[in-house]
Amino acid sequence: MGKKAKFLFFNCSEAATCCDKAQYEEANLFEKAKLMLHLAFCKTCRKFSARNSRLTHLMKESKLETCPEEKKKQWREEIKKEFAEERS
Amino acid sequence: MSANTLDPNKWVDKYSDYLFNYTIVRVNNREVANDLISETFLAGLKSAKNFKGEASERTWLISILKRKIIDYYRKINSRKGKAEVKINYSDDYNEGEWLEEQVADQFDRTAEDEMENNELGLAILDCLDSINEKHAEIFKRKTIDGADTEAICNEFNITPSNLWVIIHRARTALAACLEKNWF
Repeated sequence: MGKKAKFLFFNCSEAATCCDKAQYEEANLFEKAKLMLHLAFCKTCRKFSARNSRLTHLMKESKLETCPEEKKKQWREEIKKEFAEERS
Repeated sequence: MSANTLDPNKWVDKYSDYLFNYTIVRVNNREVANDLISETFLAGLKSAKNFKGEASERTWLISILKRKIIDYYRKINSRKGKAEVKINYSDDYNEGEWLEEQVADQFDRTAEDEMENNELGLAILDCLDSINEKHAEIFKRKTIDGADTEAICNEFNITPSNLWVIIHRARTALAACLEKNWF
C-alpha cells in the first residue's frame, strides 16, 4: 500500500477509540468513514462495535440519573452533623 | 466480629446514586425521592448501633429506604381516602368502556416497563461498583450526566486521550459485567 492511502486506514486500537467517541457523537465525519472502512474488513472490531452500541442503548434505556451535587453536599453535611451529635 | 461495618461519612459518595435510582421509579417524584433518601440516611445513623454486620451496608440502607417508601404511600393513601370514592366510572354515559380501558391500559404497561428498566439501571450501578472508582466516576459524568469532554478533563485534571482510555476501559468492563449479570 502506498503512503498516500495509509491515512485512510485505522489500526484496531484507533478504530476502538473512534468507536467510543462515536457513542458520544464526538467522532467527525471523516473518522466515522474511516471506522466504517475498518469495520468492513475487521471482524473483531465489528464485534466490539456491536457490543459497544448495545451498551449505549442499554444506558439510554436504563434512564439512570445521578443526584445533583448540591443535594449530595447537603446530605453529607446532615450526616456529618448528626454523626457528631450521636457520638457526643 | 462482624463482616460488615458502617462508615456513614462515605454513604453519600457510595450509595446516593443507587438509592436515588431505586427510589425515583417507585415514587416518581424527585423532591419526594430526595426527602426519602435524606430520611433514610438519618434513620440509618440513629439505628446504626443495631447494625449487626450480617448484611452489606447498602442492603441495610435499602431495607430502611423500603420502609420509608411504604410509609410514604401509607401517608398519601390515608389522605386520599375520600377521593377514591369519587372515581367516575359510575357515570352512565361511558358505562362499559371502563372494562376495555382496564384491559388495554397503556399507562400500566409503561409503568411495568419502567420498573424493569429501573432494575437495569441498578444492575448497571452494581457493575460500576466493581470497576476502578475513579474510572466509574468519569464514566458516569460522561455517560449519565452527558458532560463535555473538556469539562471532565478540567475537573479530573486529565488529557482528552487519558479520558478516552478510561472511557474505553470502563465500557469494556461494564459490557462484560452486564453480559454476565443482565442478559
